[in-house]
Amino acid sequence: MSFIELKNVCKKYDKTEKNAVTNFNLAIQEKEFIAFVGPSGCGKSTTLRMIAGFEEISSGELYIDGKKMNETAPMDRGISMVFQNYALYPHMTVEKNISYGLKNMKVPADEIKKKVDWAVQILGLEEYRCRKPKNLSGGQRQRVALGRAIVKDQKVFLMDEPLSNLDAKLRVSMRNEISKLHRELGSTTIYVTHDQVEAMTMADRIVIMKDGVVQQTGEPMELYEHPCNKFVAGFIGSPQMNFYDVQVERNGITFSDGKSIALPDTVTAKLQGYDHVIMGIRGEDIKFDGQNLDVYRETRQQAVIENTEIMGNENNLYFEFGGITSVARVSKYEVSRIGDSVDFVMMPHKMHFFHPQTEEAITVQGRGGL
Amino acid sequence: MLTKKQKRNNWILVIVLIAASLFFLFPVLWMLANSFKQDAAITRDMNSIRAFVPPALKGNFFDNYVKILTDTSFVRYMLNTLFYAAVLIILGVIVNGLAGYALAKIKFPFRERWLMIIMLLMIVPMETIITIHFLFIAKVGLLNTVIGYVLPMIVNPFNIFLFRQVFVSLPDDVYEAAQLDHCSPIKYFFTMVLPMSKSVVATVSVFTFLNVWNDYLWPSLVFTSGDLLTAQIGLNAITSNDNTTMGQKLAVITMITIPVIIIYSLFSKQIVEGVVSTGSKEG
Ligand SMILES: Nc1ncnc2c1ncn2[C@@H]1O[C@H](COP(=O)(O)OP(=O)(O)OP(=O)(O)O)[C@@H](O)[C@H]1O
Ligand SMILES: [Mg+2]
Repeated sequence: MSFIELKNVCKKYDKTEKNAVTNFNLAIQEKEFIAFVGPSGCGKSTTLRMIAGFEEISSGELYIDGKKMNETAPMDRGISMVFQNYALYPHMTVEKNISYGLKNMKVPADEIKKKVDWAVQILGLEEYRCRKPKNLSGGQRQRVALGRAIVKDQKVFLMDEPLSNLDAKLRVSMRNEISKLHRELGSTTIYVTHDQVEAMTMADRIVIMKDGVVQQTGEPMELYEHPCNKFVAGFIGSPQMNFYDVQVERNGITFSDGKSIALPDTVTAKLQGYDHVIMGIRGEDIKFDGQNLDVYRETRQQAVIENTEIMGNENNLYFEFGGITSVARVSKYEVSRIGDSVDFVMMPHKMHFFHPQTEEAITVQGRGGL
Repeated sequence: MLTKKQKRNNWILVIVLIAASLFFLFPVLWMLANSFKQDAAITRDMNSIRAFVPPALKGNFFDNYVKILTDTSFVRYMLNTLFYAAVLIILGVIVNGLAGYALAKIKFPFRERWLMIIMLLMIVPMETIITIHFLFIAKVGLLNTVIGYVLPMIVNPFNIFLFRQVFVSLPDDVYEAAQLDHCSPIKYFFTMVLPMSKSVVATVSVFTFLNVWNDYLWPSLVFTSGDLLTAQIGLNAITSNDNTTMGQKLAVITMITIPVIIIYSLFSKQIVEGVVSTGSKEG
């Protein structure tokens, strides 16, 4: 049996109509780093808080380490948690904050000291040991919160958007620190974030949620390459995937502005039986370089650049195509200026197709029916 | 930077405030100056500015005070009152604090109703229910005991409300973090909630002290005689005694005023905060 297991877990808050979380199923292996992502209000925190025991599970079952935990008090679940707003004890020094739990757990004093020294050291908090939280910066506070969680030797780590109050640079460095800690301590970690970059970079597996329902669970690249529906495809990846409503032709697709692209048989075979589909393609799969223009010369298209986002290493180009404002992601060597007329191709094998109504990915050949 | 006009207005304000405080201060100054005088001197100085000037610092300067300290049990009454105040501060913070915490953070049926009832109780003056308290204490035979005096004074709807208003804005995640740190709810209240709310604890303590120190009616009912009397009762007994001179009376009144003045000057911030926070700050 897996280390943590959620079976058909549902949550309905009092005095609300809809479920906040519906039929959440997930099996987490020991030492795995799992990220919950999804837009605001999708039920990530609710799920995490049900695992922690701060919210009652309305229906379904939760197992941690083989034991059913639905009715177990939070402190007996063997978890520690890092909160979004740190939740430090404001009247205690850094050291006291970190050691408080150990004291309550009646750990011998010399052992507490050893643990606190260790945590303070790996988190780089030596200078701040005797400060109170209000005299620390956001990043330092977050490290104290981490310290408080790691000294307790719990098997499960829960984190609810621990980095969302930090600035961009600090977030990157804390991200690395958390990954490093996870590798060193090997505790099973569930990490809630609405930032897909955090999820992609840190997690072994990602759970994508929407409106309280799990959309897809999988390794980061699996979600990126094989999103199971339009929502996942749009949520993962930046800039967002381009989605076009297209008409399926015998040997290709026609966009709503009348332009059409011929596609290889292997691709059109998938679309058998469909009239209309949603075609999605990521910005980096729209190519401007000579080599690709040459390879796919039959399907070459033209557009006028309307806007650019210069990032330095990469640039985003915006142009009107297929009835929407499309975005392409190009390397810094392919600079285009606003107003330039450019040629481009879309890599046919990188196209994703979604059912026009259900928005499910079309993967199996000829499953259509319209 | 203040503009010229603001500066001028500030000055006007300062002058008005000084004038107002002199107005309130002058009876106190008069009392203080005359508490060192013999009665003859008091009558003599009554109509001149010397009424505000203490006598020369000679051998008999403290006579009035010495007389009070040696001939009456006033010091004892003051110490009694300090003791009652201390007990009531501790019990009051615990009982009203726990009630305020429950109303702020614990979900139970009809919580909002309870809060309404407690707020309504704030309107009821102590004087109107004091007879009931008295009858109850008399029935259970607790007249002339410390317990009988303290018991009905512990619960204070105003303080419950004050605590509740502050506790409502305490972050919930700190409680959750403490739970994971194996902190029991009661321990959480004492080691987290109270220390995180030091200023309301101070406010309530100050109010409780002033209440106990200035209260006359309730101790006069509970304590009919003996060593348990409070300072206010003692004050009344001493000042209504025909043998006490005017100067001695003023000395007793000065002595009873001193703790209040000290408290006000040390905790004026908390007192203002307490009054302000009940009005606004709904979490
Ligand atoms: N205590 C509550 N009572 C009623 N409804 C709640 C409560 N807490 C959350 N909800 C609702 O449950 C849904 C899920 O909320 P949740 O906090 O889990 O979202 P989230 O995914 O964590 O979002 P965010 O990224 O904004 O933190 C939301 O629609 C929210 O309004
Ligand atoms: Mg959340």
